[in-house]
Amino acid sequence: MPAIELENVVKIYKIGEVETRALDGVSLRVDQGEFTTLVGPSGSGKTTMLQLMGCLDRPNSGTVIINDQDVTRLSKNQRADLRRERIGFIFQFFALVPVLTAYENVELPLLLNGVKPGARKQRVLGLLDSVGLAPRAKHRPDQLSGGEQQRVAIARALAPQPLLVLADEPTANLDTENGAQAMEIMQRLNQETGTAFVFATHDPRVVSYARRVVKLQDGRIIDNGVQTSGA
Amino acid sequence: MTAFKKLWVIAYRDLGRNRRRSALTLLAVALGLALLILMSSYIAGVVDGSISDSILLSTGHVQVRSETYQMEQASLEWGDLLEDRGGLLASATQIKGVVTAAPVLWARGYLTTAAETVGVRVTGIDPDSDFHAPIRSGLVAGQYLAAGDRGGVLVGKKLADSLGIGAGSKISLLVGTSNGEIDENVFTVRGTFSTGVLTYDESTIYMPLAKAQAITGAGDHISALILLTEDAGTAAPVAAALRAPGRNVVTWEDMNALILQGIGSAMSFYYLMYGIVILVVAVIIANTLLMSVFERTRELGILAALGMKARQITAMILMEAGLLALLGILYGIILGSLVVWYLSINGIPIGDQIASVAQGFAIRSVLYTKFVPAQIFGLSLAMLIIVLLGALYPARFAARLEPVEALHNL
Repeated sequence: MPAIELENVVKIYKIGEVETRALDGVSLRVDQGEFTTLVGPSGSGKTTMLQLMGCLDRPNSGTVIINDQDVTRLSKNQRADLRRERIGFIFQFFALVPVLTAYENVELPLLLNGVKPGARKQRVLGLLDSVGLAPRAKHRPDQLSGGEQQRVAIARALAPQPLLVLADEPTANLDTENGAQAMEIMQRLNQETGTAFVFATHDPRVVSYARRVVKLQDGRIIDNGVQTSGA
Repeated sequence: MTAFKKLWVIAYRDLGRNRRRSALTLLAVALGLALLILMSSYIAGVVDGSISDSILLSTGHVQVRSETYQMEQASLEWGDLLEDRGGLLASATQIKGVVTAAPVLWARGYLTTAAETVGVRVTGIDPDSDFHAPIRSGLVAGQYLAAGDRGGVLVGKKLADSLGIGAGSKISLLVGTSNGEIDENVFTVRGTFSTGVLTYDESTIYMPLAKAQAITGAGDHISALILLTEDAGTAAPVAAALRAPGRNVVTWEDMNALILQGIGSAMSFYYLMYGIVILVVAVIIANTLLMSVFERTRELGILAALGMKARQITAMILMEAGLLALLGILYGIILGSLVVWYLSINGIPIGDQIASVAQGFAIRSVLYTKFVPAQIFGLSLAMLIIVLLGALYPARFAARLEPVEALHNL
């Protein structure tokens, strides 16, 4: 069953009088449990595709279907609800809330979803343990290293038990060791939870972990996925 | 903890992200409110003090006069005065709410010395009446009047000093009479008094009522019966109980109508000033929050990406504004109250010249603030409301950010 499907999606950005076709009639299907990367040069449409998948933006035409639901016609609040319940995000710059501890950052999506305190605590501690950061639960982001922050971000993305995790250049600000550690954690969690992961990346290290590589160029998919065994 | 409570936690901790900016914003709120508290307390002190002085030194809470008596003319014709004083006084003091009643006779006169002649208001009083306790306690030299004193007067210290006279001095007093003539009498200054209100101290001479009636030819008539009631609110029912054909019974509000009207007009101006101060503070907070929102655009995008709704983001920004405002209001109340307390004891000297030009307005040369909790509460509430309204713009700005635009700040 597909976790997400894009059908003939077009996204146009207009800056002043200039129109740019970021995505030009793209169709893509990502199944549950996939570990997929989107690769391509800058401006190929990777980030735009992730944003549309994540309901952060709407296409000019075409449809985006998540778990059999057409999300392109949802209101802003409905898309927020969907993101909160079904989609996790991991960003290049970790993007933790700086005034919250690691525990509180992971807990935040669960609070927004109204999860009860006992279940919340169990889930948060379990996730922090799975990323190796249980002892650092009470530390704030400025007290954590870059690698640790990204691991907290991974835990936060998985907190609401999403259908799909979208990661935009997750290793761009990590050194080799931390980057590898982050990818290994995500790979393991992908296998343990069945959550689909989709990465937008330039990093060959990330590509080496993927079981499927989708190549984009000039807003079009030029290769719909090369099945690899992953790292 | 619920999501709503967590928003408070984030809002509270966000104040500490730029402590200098938060402290300065807090200071603006505190100083603004302290200024408003000081202004309102000062005005309350001046107004209440002036009306209180007017009541206690001159008008009383209620006055009973003849229907035809005109205060400005101070007529001594029997037809314009009150008679049957004894019966009126006895019945007035029996009315519920009356504390004391004092008969007075007013006449215009001139006080002459070797060097100068000054217009004065001669007031015949019952020296033993409680109404004149402020004169008794305000004696600064010499001795007080006795009821049977036929040759002594009390002179205001300001007047005495300006004429170079004092206790024991002989003065010549020219006074109008009931038949329209001027009669000259020599008196001995028994003592000088100071009420603190210059308009009284520089224009009033007191003598026993019997002597005043004798030199003016008023017989046993009086200009008015002045009453003090338990409080200002009791004046109206007491006045109603005293009304009768041939009498004009007025309350302290009637007698101070001009002052009250002037105060009412002035208050419109002061409320405008209050509004301006509060608006300035609101703009400062709105600016602070807007800067904070701009700095946190990416973070707000993250929160939106996580599924936080627009109303929750709006609430978070408003909570920050509310916390800043509440803390500032707390410090403002403390600071303002301390200053008001100090000035309520030590006063603000304005000088004799300014006090003396306030014609018809009982104003002292040292003004005191008055602590009015209801005003402080009202100003604090107004500050909080206006600040929150001012914070709506940055809050809505933050809430309307599209996650994609905000995340482009990554």
